[in-house]
Amino acid sequence: MRHATERDQPAAAAVVPAVAAANAAAADRWRRILSVVGVTLGLAVVWEVYKLVGNALDLTTPVRPDNVTMPHVWDVVGELFRPVRRGGDLLILDLTGRALWTLREALVGFAAGAILGFGLGVAFTRSRLAEQAFLPYVVASQTVPILAIAPMVVVWGGRLDIPQWLAVSIISTYLTFFPVVINTLRGLRSPDSTAMELMRSYAATPREVLWKLQVPSALPYIFTALKVSATASVIGALIGELPAGFQTGLGRALLTFSQQFAVRSAKLYATVLVSALVGILFVSVVTLVEHRVIHHSRPTEVDALAAA
Amino acid sequence: MSEGSELVVDAKGVGKVFGVGDVTVEALRGIDLAIGPGEFISLIGPSGCGKSTLLRLVGDLLTPTSGSVRINGKTPHQARRDRDYGMVFQKATLLDWRTVRRNVELPLEIMHIDQRRSRAAEMLDLVQLSEFAERYPWQLSGGMQQRVAIARALAFRPSLLLMDEPFGALDEMTREAMQQEVLRIYGETGITVVFVTHSIPEAVFLSSRVVVMSPRPGRISAVVPVDLPRPRTEDTRESQGYFDIITQVREALRSQERWVR
Repeated sequence: MRHATERDQPAAAAVVPAVAAANAAAADRWRRILSVVGVTLGLAVVWEVYKLVGNALDLTTPVRPDNVTMPHVWDVVGELFRPVRRGGDLLILDLTGRALWTLREALVGFAAGAILGFGLGVAFTRSRLAEQAFLPYVVASQTVPILAIAPMVVVWGGRLDIPQWLAVSIISTYLTFFPVVINTLRGLRSPDSTAMELMRSYAATPREVLWKLQVPSALPYIFTALKVSATASVIGALIGELPAGFQTGLGRALLTFSQQFAVRSAKLYATVLVSALVGILFVSVVTLVEHRVIHHSRPTEVDALAAA
Repeated sequence: MSEGSELVVDAKGVGKVFGVGDVTVEALRGIDLAIGPGEFISLIGPSGCGKSTLLRLVGDLLTPTSGSVRINGKTPHQARRDRDYGMVFQKATLLDWRTVRRNVELPLEIMHIDQRRSRAAEMLDLVQLSEFAERYPWQLSGGMQQRVAIARALAFRPSLLLMDEPFGALDEMTREAMQQEVLRIYGETGITVVFVTHSIPEAVFLSSRVVVMSPRPGRISAVVPVDLPRPRTEDTRESQGYFDIITQVREALRSQERWVR
Protein backbone atom coordinates (compact mmCIF):
# COMPACT_ATOMS: atom_id res chain seq x y z
CA MET A 1 0.00 0.00 0.00
CA ARG A 2 1.99 2.87 -1.34
CA HIS A 3 -0.45 5.60 -0.45
CA ALA A 4 -1.34 4.12 2.92
CA THR A 5 -0.63 7.23 4.95
CA GLU A 6 -2.50 9.61 2.68
CA ARG A 7 -5.41 7.22 2.55
CA ASP A 8 -5.77 6.64 6.27
CA GLN A 9 -5.66 10.28 7.16
CA PRO A 10 -9.20 11.37 6.36
CA ALA A 11 -10.61 8.30 8.10
CA ALA A 12 -8.56 8.88 11.25
CA ALA A 13 -9.67 12.47 11.20
CA ALA A 14 -13.25 11.24 11.09
CA VAL A 15 -12.84 8.96 14.14
CA VAL A 16 -11.69 11.69 16.52
CA PRO A 17 -14.80 13.85 15.98
CA ALA A 18 -16.91 10.70 16.44
CA VAL A 19 -15.62 10.19 20.01
CA ALA A 20 -15.85 13.88 20.74
CA ALA A 21 -19.36 13.83 19.34
CA ALA A 22 -20.42 11.09 21.77
CA ASN A 23 -19.22 13.13 24.75
CA ALA A 24 -20.76 16.23 23.30
CA ALA A 25 -24.06 14.39 22.87
CA ALA A 26 -24.27 13.51 26.58
CA ALA A 27 -23.44 17.06 27.60
CA ASP A 28 -25.86 18.29 24.99
CA ARG A 29 -28.70 16.22 26.43
CA TRP A 30 -28.26 17.78 29.89
CA ARG A 31 -27.99 21.22 28.41
CA ARG A 32 -31.23 20.66 26.52
CA ILE A 33 -33.11 19.45 29.62
CA LEU A 34 -31.79 22.39 31.65
CA SER A 35 -32.73 24.86 28.93
CA VAL A 36 -36.31 23.55 28.77
CA VAL A 37 -36.67 23.74 32.56
CA GLY A 38 -35.02 27.16 32.56
CA VAL A 39 -37.31 28.59 29.91
CA THR A 40 -40.40 27.17 31.65
CA LEU A 41 -39.39 28.75 34.96
CA GLY A 42 -38.50 31.95 33.16
CA LEU A 43 -41.94 32.18 31.57
CA ALA A 44 -43.60 31.57 34.95
CA VAL A 45 -41.51 34.37 36.45
CA VAL A 46 -42.42 36.76 33.61
CA TRP A 47 -46.10 35.89 34.13
CA GLU A 48 -45.96 36.60 37.86
CA VAL A 49 -43.85 39.76 37.51
CA TYR A 50 -46.35 41.11 34.98
CA LYS A 51 -49.17 40.44 37.45
CA LEU A 52 -47.25 42.16 40.24
CA VAL A 53 -46.29 45.22 38.22
CA GLY A 54 -49.66 45.34 36.44
CA ASN A 55 -51.59 45.33 39.69
CA ALA A 56 -49.38 48.05 41.17
CA LEU A 57 -49.79 50.28 38.10
CA ASP A 58 -53.46 49.38 37.50
CA LEU A 59 -52.74 48.18 33.96
CA THR A 60 -55.67 47.15 31.76
CA THR A 61 -53.80 46.61 28.50
CA PRO A 62 -52.63 44.39 26.91
CA VAL A 63 -54.06 41.98 29.51
CA ARG A 64 -55.71 42.64 32.84
CA PRO A 65 -53.52 41.12 35.54
CA ASP A 66 -56.45 40.07 37.76
CA ASN A 67 -56.73 36.51 39.06
CA VAL A 68 -59.45 35.51 36.60
CA THR A 69 -57.75 36.66 33.41
CA MET A 70 -54.30 35.65 34.62
CA PRO A 71 -54.50 33.20 37.52
CA HIS A 72 -51.34 32.62 39.53
CA VAL A 73 -49.05 29.94 38.15
CA TRP A 74 -49.38 27.98 41.40
CA ASP A 75 -53.17 28.22 41.17
CA VAL A 76 -53.08 26.70 37.67
CA VAL A 77 -50.81 23.89 38.82
CA GLY A 78 -52.81 23.51 42.05
CA GLU A 79 -56.03 23.22 40.07
CA LEU A 80 -54.69 20.01 38.52
CA PHE A 81 -54.78 18.41 41.96
CA ARG A 82 -58.33 19.45 42.91
CA PRO A 83 -61.45 17.43 42.08
CA VAL A 84 -63.09 18.34 38.76
CA ARG A 85 -66.46 18.65 40.50
CA ARG A 86 -67.61 17.89 43.98
CA GLY A 87 -66.84 14.24 44.68
CA GLY A 88 -65.23 13.78 41.26
CA ASP A 89 -61.74 12.70 40.16
CA LEU A 90 -58.75 14.97 40.48
CA LEU A 91 -58.53 17.25 37.44
CA ILE A 92 -55.18 15.76 36.45
CA LEU A 93 -56.62 12.23 36.40
CA ASP A 94 -59.65 13.37 34.47
CA LEU A 95 -57.46 15.20 31.96
CA THR A 96 -55.08 12.26 31.60
CA GLY A 97 -57.99 10.01 30.65
CA ARG A 98 -59.23 12.61 28.19
CA ALA A 99 -55.73 13.16 26.81
CA LEU A 100 -55.39 9.43 26.09
CA TRP A 101 -58.75 9.47 24.32
CA THR A 102 -57.78 12.47 22.20
CA LEU A 103 -54.35 11.04 21.57
CA ARG A 104 -55.94 7.88 20.15
CA GLU A 105 -58.06 9.94 17.76
CA ALA A 106 -55.02 11.97 16.79
CA LEU A 107 -52.81 8.90 16.34
CA VAL A 108 -55.27 7.14 14.07
CA GLY A 109 -55.80 10.35 12.11
CA PHE A 110 -52.06 10.95 11.92
CA ALA A 111 -51.32 7.42 10.69
CA ALA A 112 -54.06 7.61 8.07
CA GLY A 113 -52.90 11.08 7.01
CA ALA A 114 -49.27 9.98 6.76
CA ILE A 115 -50.18 6.98 4.60
CA LEU A 116 -52.55 9.00 2.43
CA GLY A 117 -50.01 11.82 2.07
CA PHE A 118 -47.18 9.46 1.19
CA GLY A 119 -49.37 7.60 -1.29
CA LEU A 120 -50.47 10.80 -3.01
CA GLY A 121 -46.86 12.03 -3.08
CA VAL A 122 -45.72 8.83 -4.79
CA ALA A 123 -48.64 8.94 -7.23
CA PHE A 124 -47.85 12.54 -8.12
CA THR A 125 -44.17 11.82 -8.79
CA ARG A 126 -45.16 8.91 -11.01
CA SER A 127 -47.60 10.93 -13.06
CA ARG A 128 -47.31 14.61 -13.91
CA LEU A 129 -50.88 14.43 -15.17
CA ALA A 130 -52.16 13.21 -11.81
CA GLU A 131 -50.21 15.97 -10.10
CA GLN A 132 -51.57 18.68 -12.38
CA ALA A 133 -55.11 17.33 -12.07
CA PHE A 134 -55.27 16.73 -8.33
CA LEU A 135 -52.70 18.92 -6.59
CA PRO A 136 -54.89 22.06 -6.89
CA TYR A 137 -57.64 20.23 -5.00
CA VAL A 138 -55.20 19.10 -2.34
CA VAL A 139 -54.16 22.73 -1.86
CA ALA A 140 -57.76 23.96 -1.98
CA SER A 141 -58.76 21.44 0.68
CA GLN A 142 -56.47 23.21 3.12
CA THR A 143 -57.99 26.64 2.58
CA VAL A 144 -61.43 25.46 3.69
CA PRO A 145 -61.70 26.14 7.45
CA ILE A 146 -61.62 22.97 9.46
CA LEU A 147 -64.41 24.36 11.64
CA ALA A 148 -66.72 24.24 8.62
CA ILE A 149 -65.83 20.70 7.72
CA ALA A 150 -65.77 19.11 11.17
CA PRO A 151 -69.58 19.12 11.75
CA MET A 152 -70.19 17.72 8.24
CA VAL A 153 -67.83 14.82 8.84
CA VAL A 154 -69.42 14.09 12.20
CA VAL A 155 -72.91 14.12 10.68
CA TRP A 156 -71.91 11.92 7.75
CA GLY A 157 -70.07 9.60 10.11
CA GLY A 158 -73.24 9.30 12.19
CA ARG A 159 -75.30 8.35 9.13
CA LEU A 160 -72.71 5.71 8.20
CA ASP A 161 -72.77 4.33 11.74
CA ILE A 162 -69.04 4.67 12.29
CA PRO A 163 -67.95 5.39 15.87
CA GLN A 164 -67.72 9.08 16.60
CA TRP A 165 -64.10 9.00 17.66
CA LEU A 166 -63.30 7.64 14.20
CA ALA A 167 -65.13 10.57 12.62
CA VAL A 168 -62.88 12.82 14.71
CA SER A 169 -59.86 10.89 13.41
CA ILE A 170 -60.99 11.62 9.87
CA ILE A 171 -60.99 15.34 10.65
CA SER A 172 -57.52 14.90 12.08
CA THR A 173 -56.45 13.12 8.88
CA TYR A 174 -57.74 16.03 6.88
CA LEU A 175 -55.31 18.36 8.65
CA THR A 176 -52.46 15.85 8.62
CA PHE A 177 -52.04 14.64 5.08
CA PHE A 178 -51.25 17.94 3.39
CA PRO A 179 -47.73 18.62 4.70
CA VAL A 180 -46.87 14.99 4.03
CA VAL A 181 -47.97 15.20 0.37
CA ILE A 182 -46.00 18.36 -0.28
CA ASN A 183 -42.83 17.20 1.44
CA THR A 184 -42.97 13.66 0.05
CA LEU A 185 -43.25 15.14 -3.42
CA ARG A 186 -40.29 17.42 -2.79
CA GLY A 187 -38.27 14.62 -1.21
CA LEU A 188 -38.91 12.06 -3.94
CA ARG A 189 -37.66 14.59 -6.47
CA SER A 190 -34.56 15.46 -4.43
CA PRO A 191 -32.08 12.89 -5.85
CA ASP A 192 -29.89 14.63 -8.41
CA SER A 193 -29.91 13.71 -12.08
CA THR A 194 -26.67 11.72 -11.78
CA ALA A 195 -28.23 9.41 -9.21
CA MET A 196 -31.20 8.87 -11.52
CA GLU A 197 -28.82 8.16 -14.43
CA LEU A 198 -26.97 5.68 -12.25
CA MET A 199 -30.19 3.78 -11.51
CA ARG A 200 -31.06 3.90 -15.21
CA SER A 201 -27.65 2.48 -16.11
CA TYR A 202 -28.52 -0.50 -13.88
CA ALA A 203 -31.80 -0.89 -15.80
CA ALA A 204 -33.57 -0.55 -12.44
CA THR A 205 -37.38 -0.76 -12.48
CA PRO A 206 -39.40 2.30 -11.35
CA ARG A 207 -40.22 0.41 -8.17
CA GLU A 208 -36.53 -0.18 -7.42
CA VAL A 209 -35.72 3.46 -8.12
CA LEU A 210 -38.53 4.43 -5.74
CA TRP A 211 -37.54 2.21 -2.82
CA LYS A 212 -33.77 2.18 -3.18
CA LEU A 213 -33.17 5.80 -4.15
CA GLN A 214 -36.16 8.13 -3.92
CA VAL A 215 -37.76 7.08 -0.64
CA PRO A 216 -34.51 7.01 1.35
CA SER A 217 -33.64 10.44 -0.10
CA ALA A 218 -37.09 11.71 0.85
CA LEU A 219 -37.00 10.54 4.48
CA PRO A 220 -35.58 13.76 5.97
CA TYR A 221 -38.29 15.73 4.14
CA ILE A 222 -41.00 13.30 5.19
CA PHE A 223 -39.99 13.44 8.85
CA THR A 224 -40.08 17.22 8.80
CA ALA A 225 -43.65 16.95 7.51
CA LEU A 226 -44.54 14.33 10.11
CA LYS A 227 -43.51 16.68 12.91
CA VAL A 228 -45.78 19.38 11.53
CA SER A 229 -48.50 16.78 11.06
CA ALA A 230 -48.14 15.44 14.60
CA THR A 231 -49.19 18.77 16.09
CA ALA A 232 -51.80 19.30 13.39
CA SER A 233 -53.34 15.92 14.15
CA VAL A 234 -53.80 16.88 17.81
CA ILE A 235 -55.43 20.16 16.79
CA GLY A 236 -57.63 18.28 14.33
CA ALA A 237 -58.75 15.89 17.06
CA LEU A 238 -59.44 18.73 19.54
CA ILE A 239 -61.52 20.65 17.01
CA GLY A 240 -63.21 17.51 15.70
CA GLU A 241 -64.46 16.72 19.20
CA LEU A 242 -66.41 19.96 19.50
CA PRO A 243 -69.32 19.05 17.20
CA ALA A 244 -69.19 15.41 18.30
CA GLY A 245 -71.60 14.45 21.04
CA PHE A 246 -69.33 12.54 23.38
CA GLN A 247 -67.98 13.98 26.61
CA THR A 248 -64.70 12.09 26.76
CA GLY A 249 -62.04 14.10 24.96
CA LEU A 250 -59.77 17.06 25.76
CA GLY A 251 -61.60 19.18 23.17
CA ARG A 252 -64.84 18.81 25.07
CA ALA A 253 -63.05 19.77 28.31
CA LEU A 254 -61.65 22.89 26.64
CA LEU A 255 -65.15 23.87 25.53
CA THR A 256 -66.75 23.19 28.93
CA PHE A 257 -64.07 24.96 30.94
CA SER A 258 -64.02 27.96 28.63
CA GLN A 259 -67.71 28.39 29.46
CA GLN A 260 -66.72 28.38 33.15
CA PHE A 261 -63.86 30.80 32.54
CA ALA A 262 -65.31 33.64 34.61
CA VAL A 263 -65.69 31.29 37.59
CA ARG A 264 -62.60 29.10 37.48
CA SER A 265 -60.20 30.23 34.78
CA ALA A 266 -57.38 28.13 36.23
CA LYS A 267 -59.20 25.00 35.03
CA LEU A 268 -59.03 26.16 31.42
CA TYR A 269 -55.38 27.13 31.74
CA ALA A 270 -54.58 23.73 33.22
CA THR A 271 -56.38 22.01 30.36
CA VAL A 272 -54.50 24.12 27.81
CA LEU A 273 -51.24 23.07 29.45
CA VAL A 274 -52.18 19.40 29.21
CA SER A 275 -53.22 19.80 25.56
CA ALA A 276 -49.85 21.37 24.78
CA LEU A 277 -48.08 18.52 26.55
CA VAL A 278 -49.93 16.01 24.36
CA GLY A 279 -48.65 17.81 21.25
CA ILE A 280 -45.10 17.98 22.61
CA LEU A 281 -45.18 14.30 23.51
CA PHE A 282 -46.34 13.39 20.02
CA VAL A 283 -43.67 15.45 18.26
CA SER A 284 -41.00 14.01 20.59
CA VAL A 285 -42.00 10.48 19.65
CA VAL A 286 -41.77 11.35 15.93
CA THR A 287 -38.34 12.90 16.50
CA LEU A 288 -37.20 9.81 18.36
CA VAL A 289 -38.29 7.58 15.47
CA GLU A 290 -36.56 9.94 13.05
CA HIS A 291 -33.25 9.55 14.88
CA ARG A 292 -33.68 5.77 14.81
CA VAL A 293 -34.41 5.69 11.09
CA ILE A 294 -31.93 8.30 9.87
CA HIS A 295 -28.72 7.45 11.67
CA HIS A 296 -26.28 7.75 8.82
CA SER A 297 -26.30 11.49 8.41
CA ARG A 298 -23.17 13.50 8.72
CA PRO A 299 -22.88 16.12 11.45
CA THR A 300 -23.80 19.36 9.71
CA GLU A 301 -21.60 22.40 9.80
CA VAL A 302 -24.16 24.10 12.00
CA ASP A 303 -23.76 21.29 14.57
CA ALA A 304 -20.00 21.53 14.40
CA LEU A 305 -20.06 25.28 14.94
CA ALA A 306 -22.51 24.90 17.80
CA ALA A 307 -20.25 22.33 19.48
CA ALA A 308 -17.16 24.53 19.12
CA MET B 1 -10.78 -8.60 -34.88
CA SER B 2 -12.16 -9.14 -38.33
CA GLU B 3 -15.87 -8.30 -38.17
CA GLY B 4 -17.75 -5.37 -36.63
CA SER B 5 -19.60 -7.70 -34.29
CA GLU B 6 -16.46 -8.18 -32.25
CA LEU B 7 -16.26 -4.50 -31.48
CA VAL B 8 -17.30 -3.42 -28.00
CA VAL B 9 -18.49 -0.03 -29.22
CA ASP B 10 -19.37 0.64 -32.85
CA ALA B 11 -20.80 4.09 -33.67
CA LYS B 12 -21.64 4.98 -37.26
CA GLY B 13 -22.69 8.42 -38.43
CA VAL B 14 -24.08 9.32 -35.02
CA GLY B 15 -25.75 12.70 -34.59
CA LYS B 16 -27.61 14.18 -31.66
CA VAL B 17 -29.85 17.24 -31.66
CA PHE B 18 -31.29 18.59 -28.41
CA GLY B 19 -34.51 20.55 -28.23
CA VAL B 20 -37.50 20.85 -30.51
CA GLY B 21 -38.81 23.38 -33.05
CA ASP B 22 -36.72 26.51 -33.46
CA VAL B 23 -34.63 26.11 -30.32
CA THR B 24 -32.39 23.21 -31.20
CA VAL B 25 -28.74 22.60 -30.46
CA GLU B 26 -26.77 20.20 -32.57
CA ALA B 27 -24.60 18.46 -29.99
CA LEU B 28 -23.01 15.82 -32.22
CA ARG B 29 -22.64 15.32 -35.96
CA GLY B 30 -21.32 12.39 -37.99
CA ILE B 31 -19.53 10.51 -35.22
CA ASP B 32 -17.77 7.33 -36.39
CA LEU B 33 -15.99 5.45 -33.63
CA ALA B 34 -15.01 1.80 -33.32
CA ILE B 35 -13.62 0.49 -30.04
CA GLY B 36 -12.21 -3.01 -29.76
CA PRO B 37 -12.09 -5.20 -26.66
CA GLY B 38 -9.48 -4.18 -24.10
CA GLU B 39 -8.97 -0.71 -25.52
CA PHE B 40 -8.71 2.35 -23.30
CA ILE B 41 -10.24 5.26 -25.20
CA SER B 42 -10.28 8.86 -23.98
CA LEU B 43 -12.67 11.45 -25.34
CA ILE B 44 -11.15 14.91 -24.98
CA GLY B 45 -12.21 18.36 -26.08
CA PRO B 46 -13.38 21.77 -24.86
CA SER B 47 -16.69 22.04 -23.05
CA GLY B 48 -19.62 21.84 -25.43
CA CYS B 49 -17.87 19.41 -27.77
CA GLY B 50 -20.37 16.69 -26.91
CA LYS B 51 -17.97 14.23 -25.28
CA SER B 52 -20.29 13.55 -22.34
CA THR B 53 -23.23 13.34 -24.75
CA LEU B 54 -21.40 10.71 -26.78
CA LEU B 55 -20.72 8.72 -23.61
CA ARG B 56 -24.42 8.89 -22.70
CA LEU B 57 -25.41 7.69 -26.17
CA VAL B 58 -23.16 4.67 -25.69
CA GLY B 59 -24.76 4.05 -22.28
CA ASP B 60 -28.34 4.48 -23.57
CA LEU B 61 -28.87 7.36 -21.18
CA LEU B 62 -29.64 9.37 -24.33
CA THR B 63 -30.91 8.28 -27.75
CA PRO B 64 -29.15 9.36 -30.96
CA THR B 65 -31.09 11.53 -33.44
CA SER B 66 -29.33 9.91 -36.40
CA GLY B 67 -26.89 7.10 -37.09
CA SER B 68 -26.45 3.92 -35.10
CA VAL B 69 -24.59 2.77 -32.00
CA ARG B 70 -23.90 -0.91 -31.29
CA ILE B 71 -22.53 -2.24 -28.02
CA ASN B 72 -21.15 -5.78 -28.22
CA GLY B 73 -23.20 -6.11 -31.42
CA LYS B 74 -26.43 -5.10 -29.62
CA THR B 75 -28.45 -1.91 -29.39
CA PRO B 76 -27.43 0.31 -26.46
CA HIS B 77 -30.86 -0.35 -24.97
CA GLN B 78 -30.34 -4.10 -25.02
CA ALA B 79 -26.78 -3.66 -23.73
CA ARG B 80 -28.08 -1.60 -20.82
CA ARG B 81 -30.74 -4.25 -20.06
CA ASP B 82 -27.99 -6.91 -20.21
CA ARG B 83 -25.88 -4.81 -17.83
CA ASP B 84 -22.98 -4.73 -20.27
CA TYR B 85 -21.45 -1.56 -18.88
CA GLY B 86 -20.66 0.11 -15.59
CA MET B 87 -20.71 3.86 -15.22
CA VAL B 88 -18.67 6.30 -13.13
CA PHE B 89 -19.59 9.99 -12.98
CA GLN B 90 -17.70 13.11 -11.96
CA LYS B 91 -19.67 13.05 -8.71
CA ALA B 92 -19.19 9.77 -6.87
CA THR B 93 -22.99 9.70 -6.33
CA LEU B 94 -22.80 7.31 -3.39
CA LEU B 95 -25.99 6.86 -1.41
CA ASP B 96 -25.48 8.62 1.94
CA TRP B 97 -27.61 6.19 3.92
CA ARG B 98 -25.67 3.10 2.82
CA THR B 99 -22.29 2.01 4.08
CA VAL B 100 -19.46 1.70 1.57
CA ARG B 101 -20.09 -2.05 1.32
CA ARG B 102 -23.81 -1.65 0.78
CA ASN B 103 -23.17 1.00 -1.86
CA VAL B 104 -21.11 -1.53 -3.78
CA GLU B 105 -23.88 -4.08 -3.30
CA LEU B 106 -26.53 -1.74 -4.75
CA PRO B 107 -26.23 -2.83 -8.40
CA LEU B 108 -26.00 -6.46 -7.30
CA GLU B 109 -29.30 -6.11 -5.41
CA ILE B 110 -31.01 -4.56 -8.41
CA MET B 111 -29.62 -7.22 -10.73
CA HIS B 112 -30.51 -10.05 -8.33
CA ILE B 113 -26.94 -11.29 -8.26
CA ASP B 114 -26.12 -13.63 -5.36
CA GLN B 115 -23.16 -13.66 -3.02
CA ARG B 116 -23.32 -9.90 -2.78
CA ARG B 117 -21.23 -9.74 0.33
CA SER B 118 -18.30 -11.64 -1.08
CA ARG B 119 -18.52 -9.81 -4.41
CA ALA B 120 -18.50 -6.46 -2.62
CA ALA B 121 -15.55 -7.58 -0.49
CA GLU B 122 -13.68 -8.62 -3.62
CA MET B 123 -14.35 -5.26 -5.30
CA LEU B 124 -13.35 -3.25 -2.23
CA ASP B 125 -10.19 -5.31 -2.15
CA LEU B 126 -9.59 -4.37 -5.80
CA VAL B 127 -9.79 -0.66 -5.00
CA GLN B 128 -7.93 -1.22 -1.71
CA LEU B 129 -10.68 0.03 0.56
CA SER B 130 -11.47 -3.19 2.44
CA GLU B 131 -10.99 -1.63 5.87
CA PHE B 132 -13.54 1.08 5.09
CA ALA B 133 -16.37 -1.30 4.18
CA GLU B 134 -18.57 -0.34 7.13
CA ARG B 135 -17.97 3.40 6.93
CA TYR B 136 -20.46 5.86 5.54
CA PRO B 137 -19.57 7.85 2.40
CA TRP B 138 -19.20 11.17 4.24
CA GLN B 139 -16.42 9.66 6.34
CA LEU B 140 -14.30 9.17 3.21
CA SER B 141 -12.15 11.61 1.23
CA GLY B 142 -13.15 12.58 -2.32
CA GLY B 143 -10.63 10.20 -3.88
CA MET B 144 -11.80 7.31 -1.70
CA GLN B 145 -15.41 8.02 -2.59
CA GLN B 146 -14.55 7.88 -6.27
CA ARG B 147 -12.78 4.53 -5.75
CA VAL B 148 -15.96 3.21 -4.14
CA ALA B 149 -17.84 4.40 -7.23
CA ILE B 150 -15.41 2.45 -9.40
CA ALA B 151 -15.82 -0.66 -7.24
CA ARG B 152 -19.58 -0.28 -7.57
CA ALA B 153 -19.35 0.06 -11.36
CA LEU B 154 -17.24 -3.10 -11.62
CA ALA B 155 -19.17 -5.19 -9.09
CA PHE B 156 -21.39 -6.87 -11.67
CA ARG B 157 -18.44 -7.57 -13.99
CA PRO B 158 -19.44 -5.48 -17.02
CA SER B 159 -17.36 -5.76 -20.18
CA LEU B 160 -17.29 -1.99 -20.62
CA LEU B 161 -16.54 0.82 -18.18
CA LEU B 162 -17.85 4.30 -19.01
CA MET B 163 -16.22 7.14 -17.06
CA ASP B 164 -17.45 10.72 -17.28
CA GLU B 165 -14.71 13.07 -16.02
CA PRO B 166 -14.34 10.83 -12.97
CA PHE B 167 -11.41 12.76 -11.49
CA GLY B 168 -12.53 16.23 -12.51
CA ALA B 169 -13.36 17.23 -8.94
CA LEU B 170 -10.16 15.89 -7.36
CA ASP B 171 -6.95 17.75 -6.55
CA GLU B 172 -3.90 17.12 -8.74
CA MET B 173 -2.09 14.76 -6.33
CA THR B 174 -5.13 12.60 -5.68
CA ARG B 175 -5.87 12.69 -9.36
CA GLU B 176 -2.50 11.20 -10.33
CA ALA B 177 -2.85 8.49 -7.68
CA MET B 178 -6.32 7.69 -9.06
CA GLN B 179 -4.94 7.42 -12.60
CA GLN B 180 -2.45 4.83 -11.37
CA GLU B 181 -5.31 3.06 -9.64
CA VAL B 182 -7.43 2.95 -12.78
CA LEU B 183 -4.53 1.64 -14.85
CA ARG B 184 -3.89 -1.08 -12.28
CA ILE B 185 -7.57 -2.12 -12.33
CA TYR B 186 -7.59 -1.91 -16.13
CA GLY B 187 -4.53 -4.17 -16.22
CA GLU B 188 -6.03 -6.65 -13.75
CA THR B 189 -9.48 -6.91 -15.33
CA GLY B 190 -8.79 -6.43 -19.04
CA ILE B 191 -11.95 -4.33 -19.27
CA THR B 192 -12.68 -1.91 -22.12
CA VAL B 193 -12.78 1.71 -20.97
CA VAL B 194 -14.27 4.88 -22.48
CA PHE B 195 -13.01 7.83 -20.47
CA VAL B 196 -14.18 11.43 -20.84
CA THR B 197 -11.74 14.08 -19.66
CA HIS B 198 -10.60 17.61 -20.34
CA SER B 199 -7.07 16.97 -19.16
CA ILE B 200 -4.56 16.27 -21.93
CA PRO B 201 -1.89 14.61 -19.72
CA GLU B 202 -4.54 12.43 -18.12
CA ALA B 203 -5.87 11.28 -21.49
CA VAL B 204 -2.40 10.48 -22.80
CA PHE B 205 -1.24 8.73 -19.65
CA LEU B 206 -4.23 6.40 -19.52
CA SER B 207 -5.28 5.70 -23.08
CA SER B 208 -4.48 3.45 -25.97
CA ARG B 209 -6.12 6.06 -28.22
CA VAL B 210 -7.12 9.67 -27.60
CA VAL B 211 -10.19 10.85 -29.50
CA VAL B 212 -10.03 14.63 -29.94
CA MET B 213 -13.38 16.35 -30.35
CA SER B 214 -14.34 19.87 -31.40
CA PRO B 215 -17.47 21.85 -30.63
CA ARG B 216 -20.46 23.37 -32.49
CA PRO B 217 -21.45 20.84 -33.64
CA GLY B 218 -19.52 18.21 -31.68
CA ARG B 219 -17.46 15.99 -33.96
CA ILE B 220 -14.27 13.98 -33.94
CA SER B 221 -11.43 16.12 -35.28
CA ALA B 222 -8.50 13.76 -34.70
CA VAL B 223 -7.62 10.37 -33.23
CA VAL B 224 -4.18 10.16 -31.65
CA PRO B 225 -2.82 6.66 -30.97
CA VAL B 226 -0.76 6.35 -27.77
CA ASP B 227 1.86 3.66 -28.24
CA LEU B 228 3.56 4.10 -24.89
CA PRO B 229 4.47 0.73 -23.33
CA ARG B 230 2.41 -0.69 -20.46
CA PRO B 231 2.51 -0.92 -17.52
CA ARG B 232 2.77 2.84 -17.32
CA THR B 233 4.40 4.21 -14.22
CA GLU B 234 5.47 7.53 -12.76
CA ASP B 235 8.50 7.23 -15.08
CA THR B 236 6.16 7.30 -18.07
CA ARG B 237 5.09 10.77 -17.02
CA GLU B 238 8.68 11.94 -17.47
CA SER B 239 9.44 10.14 -20.74
CA GLN B 240 10.01 11.91 -24.05
CA GLY B 241 7.41 9.78 -25.84
CA TYR B 242 4.76 10.93 -23.34
CA PHE B 243 5.58 14.60 -23.93
CA ASP B 244 5.56 14.09 -27.71
CA ILE B 245 2.06 12.65 -27.67
CA ILE B 246 0.83 15.37 -25.31
CA THR B 247 2.11 17.86 -27.87
CA GLN B 248 0.30 16.04 -30.68
CA VAL B 249 -3.00 16.12 -28.77
CA ARG B 250 -2.50 19.75 -27.82
CA GLU B 251 -1.88 20.68 -31.44
CA ALA B 252 -4.93 18.74 -32.55
CA LEU B 253 -6.99 20.71 -30.03
CA ARG B 254 -5.37 24.01 -31.01
CA SER B 255 -5.87 23.58 -34.76
CA GLN B 256 -9.62 23.34 -34.22
CA GLU B 257 -9.52 26.36 -31.94
CA ARG B 258 -8.33 28.46 -34.89
CA TRP B 259 -11.40 27.47 -36.87
CA VAL B 260 -13.69 28.55 -34.11
CA ARG B 261 -12.28 32.06 -33.93
